Amino acid sequence: MAQAEAFETDFWKDANLRKTWDDIVPGEPRKTIPYTLTRQAIELYCKSVGETNPIYFDEAYAKTTRYGGLIAPPSIHILLMFSCTPADDWMRSPGTVNAGQSWSYNIPARPGDVITLQARALDKFIKRERLFVVHDNVFFNQKGDVICSGRGWTIRPM
Amino acid sequence: MTATFDNLSAGDVIDGPKFAVSRESIRLFCDASLDYNPLHLDDDYMKGNFGKTNFGGIIMHGMNNFGLISRMITDWACPAGAVHRRLETRWVKPVRPGDTIQPRGIIKAKQSTEKSRWVLIDVVVKNQAGEKVATGEALVEFPRDLCCQ
Repeated sequence: MAQAEAFETDFWKDANLRKTWDDIVPGEPRKTIPYTLTRQAIELYCKSVGETNPIYFDEAYAKTTRYGGLIAPPSIHILLMFSCTPADDWMRSPGTVNAGQSWSYNIPARPGDVITLQARALDKFIKRERLFVVHDNVFFNQKGDVICSGRGWTIRPM
Repeated sequence: MTATFDNLSAGDVIDGPKFAVSRESIRLFCDASLDYNPLHLDDDYMKGNFGKTNFGGIIMHGMNNFGLISRMITDWACPAGAVHRRLETRWVKPVRPGDTIQPRGIIKAKQSTEKSRWVLIDVVVKNQAGEKVATGEALVEFPRDLCCQ
């Protein structure tokens, strides 16, 4: 778990640095960091959801496909959301509950891609006494091509 | 049978993979996604209340469900030369260690546009008791010059 060693897995550690629902300003960009996607990270992600398509693992096979090489599954943005944001990002606040997501896929991410994220809270609201934030996100590769874009609805801890 | 745009009809079913949820599978998803929210790790923390909600123990990541649905869509689309273009989901019920979940897709509609062809798929994920844990909608593109292979 080389990637996990470099990553602070105790989400309580910087909890006091993170914005609460009251502090989050819709429209304000989130801080993001570029991330180099590795074959190892793709393989670990694939294992966690049981992906078996050789296009994610078998380079010789992947070269024969239209993609011309290994790719990551579309849902790799699940990993990218945490790998492209710093430890004080409010997505890591303990107790953040995911309520729903919508994602559009343009081109696949590939091993070796240096991926950047543009992200912000887009909206916040209160519904049935719960505090919601809508966040929107666009992931790009090193050429500036859009990989995918999406929104998430989270219920913020109180 | 591999799907083609022409032979698909509304109501056709895509059976997704069964997924057995365990503390280990949840922990593996933490390592794979880097989402170490204590919701998925910390039993003591999960004894507490979240506003009006009490989960009673750790729960699976909603995004683990999302990844499983996405796997069903790509495993169906890729051999057909089609491309997974969109997925929208809502989490209906928490998923816990010991549950077995299975996504299913139901073809909802087909649409041709100026440049391509699209299939809209209703998605539902149920647990072993037949309860809905997630619902969603996916969009798959069937390019006129087929992709993937």
